[in-house]
Amino acid sequence: MPSDSSSALLIVGHGSTVNPASSAPTLMHAATIRGRGIFADVACCFWKEEPSLRDALFFFRDPGIREVYVVPNFISEGYFTRTVIPRELELAGAETERPNGQLWKYCDPVGAHESMTGHLLERARAIAPGVDESTATLLIVAHGTSLNDNSAVAAKEQAEKIRALERYAAVLNVYMEEPPQVSDWVNLTKTQNVVVVPFFISDGLHSYEDIPALLGIENASTGGESRAHELQGRTLFYSTAIGTDSRFADVIIEQANSFDQRKQVLQSAS
Amino acid sequence: MSALAQERALGDWLAKGLRCIGQIAIQSGDDGGFVLRHREDRERTGLVVSQRADDAAELARFDDAGNYRPLKTAPTLRHGWKLRLANLAELRLALDLFYPGRLAMFAAFEKDELVTTPLRDTLGRQTGMYRIAAQIREDQTDELVGRFCASNGGCLRTIQWRRDAAGTVPSTQLPPDKFDPRHDQTGGAEPVVPLLCQEACNLLVAEARTVVQANR
Repeated sequence: MPSDSSSALLIVGHGSTVNPASSAPTLMHAATIRGRGIFADVACCFWKEEPSLRDALFFFRDPGIREVYVVPNFISEGYFTRTVIPRELELAGAETERPNGQLWKYCDPVGAHESMTGHLLERARAIAPGVDESTATLLIVAHGTSLNDNSAVAAKEQAEKIRALERYAAVLNVYMEEPPQVSDWVNLTKTQNVVVVPFFISDGLHSYEDIPALLGIENASTGGESRAHELQGRTLFYSTAIGTDSRFADVIIEQANSFDQRKQVLQSAS
Repeated sequence: MSALAQERALGDWLAKGLRCIGQIAIQSGDDGGFVLRHREDRERTGLVVSQRADDAAELARFDDAGNYRPLKTAPTLRHGWKLRLANLAELRLALDLFYPGRLAMFAAFEKDELVTTPLRDTLGRQTGMYRIAAQIREDQTDELVGRFCASNGGCLRTIQWRRDAAGTVPSTQLPPDKFDPRHDQTGGAEPVVPLLCQEACNLLVAEARTVVQANR
């Protein structure tokens, strides 16, 4: 459990040089967590924006800060969490001791947290109020394998978990760039109501334009709202990216907590 | 919780008379608070007032024409706003959103702890799509850095890194004061909290990649 006087939090986001909405959720979650006073300091850093991951090496120089929890605000383990972040932050493994004795703890990405299934379910319910889940299909949308990440695998795992709950008539993982493709939703689904939740960290071109276009939505909302669309005789409910959910702040804190809990389990087992 | 080292350092800089950072003027109030505005807006009235440090993120995100600002140290800060902040902690948060990471770099510099990374090391470390950026030639690097990092139209940071481990100047096309932490990169000749650049940013790495690709 992080201690408020000696622990800091570094949230690592991807960021974008073209999409102004990319870093917004990460900054919002940081502000939320900062306001709770759990950590002595809370900072963000980004691969494609400022401050950079390299800048973050110079943060937290207050001698009172003995531990820094590094939480990737990413959907899945992959190229960024395994290669880019450790390289840029000079992390030697799960724990890295700096020359001043400060310990940097590399936590799991937010999308890997066990609560993610619940967040996806809650988001799906929130955007389709009054819809009987047992007669609806839930689509979890990820990018697909063209990117060097495992978001496609993560979406598949989430779909399997939700399917096992047997709440929805059907639960499918669909992708932008590989089968089963989101553009084929009419053939993939059989129910009148179809609920679509993008399994992305932030809203951007994918969730505002690309996925709506693949679904056939002509005027997708860009105001953060979710609404129903009548398409091909069906009712389609389309959500904003799951990572914009304000409760992701809790998930970030949880990932920091999980790091120490996991370490305790490992120590007691050895 | 005691005031963080960063806030203490910021308080020291203000006491020394460093009242500008990048394109922002910092004015102290009688109540322990601060007012930030664009340096070119100091005589202007009718500014739109914001009250929260977090509002700085939105103020920094777009330029006067509404274009997204991927590089926050570009000399394109929008005009027409005034940000009232209650205390030093709020000031630090706001400045960290306007110019992310720069307070920490200057604090490290003052303590002689700012470790710089030569551009060639930064490029050589890249993987994936940016790996080829390391293939940029010396003459291309000289031109690119001279153009991309120029204070006039490019970036207001004060470069502290060198081009290579031998200490080659980043670009012969930049004036010597581009590397001087005491110099006001806006050309305003006022005492400033400098926006120190200890290592080439990802935008410059991406531009190096573009230059290499264009020559293939």
